[in-house]
Amino acid sequence: MPINDLGYRAWAGTRMARAIRPWVVARSGISLVWRRRWLRMMLMFAWLPIIVPAMGLFAFEYSSTEPEFEQAIIQLLRGPLRQPELAGRMASNPEEARHDVWATLILAYFRYPQLFAMVILIGLVAPMLVSYDLRTKAYLMYFSRPLSPLQYVMGKSAVIWFILVTIVTVPALILYVVGVMLSTEFSVIRETWDIPLRILAASAVLMIPTTALAMGYSSLTTESRYATFAWFATWAMGFVAYQVLTFSSVAVSGRRPPRGGRGPVDWESLGVDLDRWRLLSPYHTLGKVEAWVFNLDPTPASVVPAFAALGGITLAGFWLVRYRIVARLSV
Amino acid sequence: MPRAIIDIEGVTKKYGRIAALQNVSLSFPPGITGLLGPNGSGKSTLIKALLGLLRAQTGRGRVLEFDWPSDVRSIRDHVGYLPEDDCYVAGLTGIESVTLMARLSGLSGDEGLRRSHEMLDFCGFGEERYREVESYSTGMRQKLKFSQTLVHDPPLLILDEPTTGLDPDQRVAMLQRIRNLATKHGKSVILSTHILHDVRSVCDQVVILVGGTVRVVDTLENLSRPIEPTVQITVDGDAAPFIEQVRKAGFQVHLDEETRGLRIESIEPDQFEIVWRIASQTATAIRSLEPAVNSLDKIFIDVAAGKPRAMNSEGAHANQ
Repeated sequence: MPINDLGYRAWAGTRMARAIRPWVVARSGISLVWRRRWLRMMLMFAWLPIIVPAMGLFAFEYSSTEPEFEQAIIQLLRGPLRQPELAGRMASNPEEARHDVWATLILAYFRYPQLFAMVILIGLVAPMLVSYDLRTKAYLMYFSRPLSPLQYVMGKSAVIWFILVTIVTVPALILYVVGVMLSTEFSVIRETWDIPLRILAASAVLMIPTTALAMGYSSLTTESRYATFAWFATWAMGFVAYQVLTFSSVAVSGRRPPRGGRGPVDWESLGVDLDRWRLLSPYHTLGKVEAWVFNLDPTPASVVPAFAALGGITLAGFWLVRYRIVARLSV
Repeated sequence: MPRAIIDIEGVTKKYGRIAALQNVSLSFPPGITGLLGPNGSGKSTLIKALLGLLRAQTGRGRVLEFDWPSDVRSIRDHVGYLPEDDCYVAGLTGIESVTLMARLSGLSGDEGLRRSHEMLDFCGFGEERYREVESYSTGMRQKLKFSQTLVHDPPLLILDEPTTGLDPDQRVAMLQRIRNLATKHGKSVILSTHILHDVRSVCDQVVILVGGTVRVVDTLENLSRPIEPTVQITVDGDAAPFIEQVRKAGFQVHLDEETRGLRIESIEPDQFEIVWRIASQTATAIRSLEPAVNSLDKIFIDVAAGKPRAMNSEGAHANQ
């Protein structure tokens, strides 16, 4: 029993504006996922890959005084990053190439380690967000308050966005700041001012459709494991389907890309259309749009179909969540 | 006549071809109103429609001072709704669950927490408020939902089966809380329940829905009063001479063999003196004498079965 039981007392305080109440849903969800020790550990590990592009920026900025750093960057651009033309520009005029080298390093950070981390983390967190509410009928509690289905969806989505901002946007912006601080000239800000904006745009491209897809799956079932399976299956099957359909013609014809040469494989000369099956794979579709955002798209096809596909996924995913919630309320 | 807290007219809600509510027009006065009806009668549909959780095809009106259905968000801000279903946010403790609802109703962080503790105290929670809700019994979850319903101090409470899952002591305590909120704190309550005893215990008015239509709207006092004045008497010993004399005096008497109770019909209060005189003459000891009341159970069963119900002259009759 309470030490001082006041019984029931009226309350007449000031209420918050309704518009900011989705924030309450978001905060509650973030607080819940943050309690999971494994998630905090994974978020920490998801930061580790930042070391690679940070070292790249360091090497680039010191390449003027350390020739071996310059060679390392040029080889990195020619090899793993598949930018031979940029490597040439770097060799001739590093100052002029700075913007694109930075953008390439940050794009690579987005494209490879963080996209992978995103798939893993969202796959472990997002399926619970709506399916648990459907299972425990928590939606009745939420909607007994002045909350619209859209606000509820935004609040829940913000939990995923928090994770993605933590593992993608914040480290990428820190990378940029590190680059600026490593540089010896203030002119670097004038040359690269647009990169933070591109980071924000690429983050939005990464976050919005993936969140909609994950939430859509989560709303389809009261068993979150099915949503988890569907999420991972979508990425894995899309990736495999793209690889098989895109490169099977080369494999069947017996032609092999030249080995030992520097720079990326010229798939076009082998008759491979890298964009034809791209929309089958969320990974490659996101990659296309992110590369376009950083103005580094290596393939000739228009980015519009990829944008349209991501837009379609976004609309379908959020509509599905809303539909499922409204349908439950109507019973 | 005080202004109605809910005033709606022409409310129709159909699920495909099935009409859950058919042209329902209702006024709920302040106080505690029992909303009764068999399963599928449209009680929960009516409640959800009032809260804007589902959209009625037709109908308009007012809930508190807000237009319905155009201003359902304001209505939800000023109504405390306790759902019938077992519902909770997974992973939260009791105090966090109530605080979440407080914050969704617009209370600030500290104020929401303070108010949540106060409501949990009011509902009889102790240290268990710091446990996760998943570990709660059904009764505790019911009390938790009640705390959540009250945390923003709404003037109108809509309680859907609030005593489900409560043990007898807790049930009595819950009904006392509801009564207390209505009488001492001016809350209006709509109590949807199947438990007629609960309705008898706390309600001032009763609305009975059957098949999506309103069949009865009346005060409990009117409903309980028999059409003709009747008294219920229990006597000690042999009642036969007493019954014979009462019949000779011109009253109809029925003896319940099981309870040994007598029911004297068509007797006005100023005629009770005759009963006492006959008891004295026949040396019959009267253990109790009280005005008989109609059984709410019987009224409910009759109405649900579609039987016509005779009304008292004072009875404000239903509907349509």
